[in-house]
Order: sequence, then C-alpha cells, then structure tokens
Amino acid sequence: MNPSDYDAILLSAKVAIAATFFSLPIGFAVAYMMTYLKFRGKVLFEVIITLPLTLPPVVIGYFLLLLLGRRGWLGPLLESIGIRLIFTWKAAVIASAVVGFPLLVRSIRIGMESIDPHLIQASKTLGAPWYDTLFTVILPLSFRSIVAGSSLMFARSLGEFGATIIVAGNIPGVTQTIPLAIYEYVSSPTSETMAVSLCIVSIIMALSILFFHESLGMQLTKRR
Amino acid sequence: MRKVGAKLILTLLCLVLLRASALAGEVCLSVAASLKDVINELSDSFARQNVGIKFLKNYGGSGALARQIENGAPADIFISANLEWMDYLQNKRLMDSASIGIFTYNTLVFVGAADKKVGSMRDLPKLEKIAIGSPKSVPAGQYALEALKKAGIDKQLEKKLVMAKDVRECLMYAERAEVDGAFVYKTDAIQAKQAKILFVVPEDLYPQVTYPMGLTLTGAQNKDAEAFYKHLQGEDARAVLEKYGFPRK
Repeated sequence: MNPSDYDAILLSAKVAIAATFFSLPIGFAVAYMMTYLKFRGKVLFEVIITLPLTLPPVVIGYFLLLLLGRRGWLGPLLESIGIRLIFTWKAAVIASAVVGFPLLVRSIRIGMESIDPHLIQASKTLGAPWYDTLFTVILPLSFRSIVAGSSLMFARSLGEFGATIIVAGNIPGVTQTIPLAIYEYVSSPTSETMAVSLCIVSIIMALSILFFHESLGMQLTKRR
Repeated sequence: MRKVGAKLILTLLCLVLLRASALAGEVCLSVAASLKDVINELSDSFARQNVGIKFLKNYGGSGALARQIENGAPADIFISANLEWMDYLQNKRLMDSASIGIFTYNTLVFVGAADKKVGSMRDLPKLEKIAIGSPKSVPAGQYALEALKKAGIDKQLEKKLVMAKDVRECLMYAERAEVDGAFVYKTDAIQAKQAKILFVVPEDLYPQVTYPMGLTLTGAQNKDAEAFYKHLQGEDARAVLEKYGFPRK
C-alpha cells in the first residue's frame, strides 16, 4: 500500500468518528422525541429523519453543495464569518453525518421502545422530574442500543461515497477517504492491485464492526 | 432447487439473446469527456441521415474508459485524450491497429474567477484549491501534473489539488467557484460561463494534447461503426471540431 492509502484509512476513521460523535446527542434527542413525545406532524418528522436512508447519496451531496457552496444558500453567510466547508474534511463529516443519522436514530429508538414502561412510570410516581428519569432510567437502559446504533453509523460513515465525493472533492491526503481512493484506483487501468488491497482493508473494517454490532444485538435480546 | 436453477439459466439466456438482437444498428462510443459536444453533434447528424442507427455514448476520463473496454464493456469506437490509453488498449490487443489515427488536438489552459490575480504558473501557489483531473485516469490531469512538475511547483501544491473524475467536472468546480482555479482544455474553457481563462499553460511544459481514435476489434466488424468512423474523418467532422474551437491541423 502507498502512504496515501494509509492517509485514506486514517482520514476515513477520523471522519467516521467525528460524524458519529457529533450526531450522538442529536440522535439521542430525536429518538427520545419519537419514542416518548406526542406532537403534531410526527409522521412527517419521522419521514424526514429517515429520508437520507432511502435517498440516493448523490442527491444529498448535491443538496449539501447547493446549501454550503460558495454560490449556495448558506455558503456566503458562512464565508463571511470565515468558515469554508466544501472541499474540506469537515464537509466529509457533514455528508457522513446526514447519511448515517437515520441508522443511529432507528437503533436508539428500538432500544428505548424495549424499555419496560413500568420502570418509567415507577420513576415518575416516585416523583422524579423528566430529566431524572432520562438520565437514571432511560439512558442506562438504552446504553447498549446507543453503542449498537453508533457502531452501525460508524460503519456507514466509513463507506460513505456518493455524497462525500461531491462535497469533499477528492484531495489525496486531505479529503480522500477509503472509498474515494478505491474509486480513483478502479477508474485507472494500471492500478488494479492497489484497489484490491484497499478493498480488503475496507471489507475487514466493515466485517469487524458488524460482528461487534451483531454480538451487541445478541446480548440485547438475551437480556429481554 | 434444480428447477429454480434451470429457470435462472433460461432467463439469463433470454437476456443474453435479447441483448444480442438489440445490438443490430447500434454503435457504442467511448469518448474522452472533452469531446462530448463535438461527438454529440456529429452522432446526432449522422443518426438523422442514417435512419435505424442508434448511438450509445459513453463519456468519461480516457483512462476510466480504457479500463471499462479492457474489462469487456461494449465499445466500437474509442477516442482517447492522450496516446497512452490508446497504446494501452492496443497492447492488450483490443484495438484494430490498422484503423488508429489522430482525431484532433487541444491546448491546456488555467481557468478561474476573473478577479483572481493569476497570470502564470508562478502565481499558482498563492491559491487555496485547484482542480485537476485525477492524473491516474484523466489525461487533462496528467498533462496538468506534468506541467506543474516541470514548473517545479507540484510539491507546494500537493495538498491543494482536488481530483476530478473527468475534465468536465473540473470545469464545473471552477464554474461554481468551489475551487480558485482549474486546469482544463481550451475548448472546455470556451464553454464556461463564469470562469475565465487566466492563462494558457506554456506548451514547453507538457506534451502536445493529442486525441487518437480507433475502432475496437468488435467495432471493426460492425458496419455502422465503420461508416460512422469514416464520417469522423470527413470534412463535416472538421467543421464541427472547428466550431467548438479545436485547432485545424
């Protein structure tokens, strides 16, 4: 493997960690809203949250470009306070976060829904305010599903291609993640073996995360 | 289980046969992205004159196209933006060597927003982001990287180069001002609405941009492909090339 391949692996990990880390609190809040709160337009909200799961990632990338680009809707505003996102690794984080977010929310929600409602009622009858219930009952009991959701999102972020290539460009050593590096190799006739070695790396990474995720799932069902 | 297998094979067989019958009157083109407008116009007019011929047009970086053809993608005519990928396919014995000729030439320029004070290669290190075609598969990027190396600024620019999948994407980045500038062909730059040509890359910094064209081995057996190939060498093609700014040589 080339030095630029190691760069790509490190960058992929960095992007996936950042995307998952920043999505976690929001994902938890959204999952909480969907599970425990009743409000108008809940179905619409749910559809919008889940949309990136079914939308072609290229569409997401294109919208992000329209939104954040220099000639975009938000871009000039961000530029005026000195923030440039397009073609930086931060754009890759945003793209991964949007695409992986529904997976995170779904997992956490499943965990929250499996919590015995009697426990929550008990804490309420014992006079606990909502935040107390949240931090002492819901959070610990859904902890495993949070880890499971994070790992799933992490794995998805590692593989994110469609949206990333549009907003992060393809700058070796700066924004070139594993899938982008593979794409570059694959489209060149002379670097087939290079593509294969990076493919193996990404298969190993995806497999180990999924095994971890599945074993968590097994523990979850055993507990029930 | 066996029944399912048999059905599967039957379905696949049908698909293959259907595919074969659909091939009659079809010409598959694999053409460098920078020739998109030229080939679109030529194939459209040719299809109007010869009813029943259908063109399947595949535009992209020449290296990516060569890779596809090598792996069995249907292609009758291949036009590359450099000699390297044509030679590559020739060495793999996929081209009809006798047919290979030169289609046209081009020049490399640097485009960007008009307010950027960039007048030569020496000004490039001042910029933040520069788009080039991915040198692994896009000839425009290969030429550009060579020019950067000859000018001795490739190391300084290393982390500033955005790799585009073909020269048109390069131009798009410059048009949207997501990069400060981009290396594209002169003929692409003419199409640009926002971006302006900031300077022409000195010709002694890179080999001449040459577009070789040729029939593939399958194309040499396709009458329609051969007819269109003749058309590409004719006076009409010259006129269209000139219209889009390709030099008459």
